[in-house]
Amino acid sequence: MYLKKTILITGSSRGIGFEVAYYFLKNNAIVIGLSKGDSTIDNANYYHYSIDLSKPEKIIDLFKEITKHFKKIDIVINNAAVLTSQYSMILPLKNAIDMVNVNLLAVFLISRESAKLMRKNSYGRIINISSMAASLEPAGDSLYAACKAGINSLANVMAKEFSTLNITCNTLAITAFESDMLKQHSSTAQVKIKEIIKNLPIPRIAEKDDILNVIDFFSSERSSYITAQIIYLGGIN
Amino acid sequence: MNIVKVKEIVINALNNLLTEMPTEQGCEINESTLLLAEGSIIDSLTLVSLIVDIETTFNTDYNIEISLSDDRAMMRDISPFLSVSTLVDYIYELISEK
Repeated sequence: MYLKKTILITGSSRGIGFEVAYYFLKNNAIVIGLSKGDSTIDNANYYHYSIDLSKPEKIIDLFKEITKHFKKIDIVINNAAVLTSQYSMILPLKNAIDMVNVNLLAVFLISRESAKLMRKNSYGRIINISSMAASLEPAGDSLYAACKAGINSLANVMAKEFSTLNITCNTLAITAFESDMLKQHSSTAQVKIKEIIKNLPIPRIAEKDDILNVIDFFSSERSSYITAQIIYLGGIN
Repeated sequence: MNIVKVKEIVINALNNLLTEMPTEQGCEINESTLLLAEGSIIDSLTLVSLIVDIETTFNTDYNIEISLSDDRAMMRDISPFLSVSTLVDYIYELISEK
């Protein structure tokens, strides 16, 4: 299904990014994975780059290497994110800066640099992984929600800028997924999340296939007329 | 690199873009071709693509890193993107400083 497609995924070493990378590899894609740590995937078609996405210059430098080595990118999954759940008045500055740099600026830079490659083949799919936080705006996640709302808008504007290049830009907003990021929340926050999930139209956390289903849809060659869309899982709108 | 080569790179990049725009095929490109002015043959988004293509060509084919869209370009009294001629002059100025 993804034979001869080159797919770049951020945050590929664990959680959603790992599952998505593994799925694409199973479907014969070439996968470029970015994460802060070392590779956790052993596959001949998987190429791992360890990079701190909180440092914008590193992203620019990395793309010089990616451009030389791979020549093209067909699909980008902007999945990497960092989360510090803390009330605004006591959120440490370093954590705030890291959240903006990784969750918003890195998404912008990776989308932009990937689009430069995608335009050479007049083909591309950019998919941002967002969160229900962008819609529900929970207390304790001000900056996280703002960044996720930001990447929603980012995709919508880029969809306009890149449409003539046959590059679509869409967003998948996830409720909760069993991952390290979910476990990072305090026990109080996890109780709150459970309460939110209980009140969703479909009251359960997202499963792997829920996510892969939408990614397949956005990634598909048949989805050339689907752009600037945000799909919230679980019935959030 | 001399200015004739710079002009060749810019005009090639512009011609390549125009082949992707059916309504503009057959348009003759020369130094006086307008880029970012009334009467321009391209719109602003196409100009963005032109900038990206030129930067990429210099970087990839000639190992010369240039940035055409930084503050320096934006602060000029006469925009470097006014015409092919102003763009060529600006690029030549940048690479001469290296």
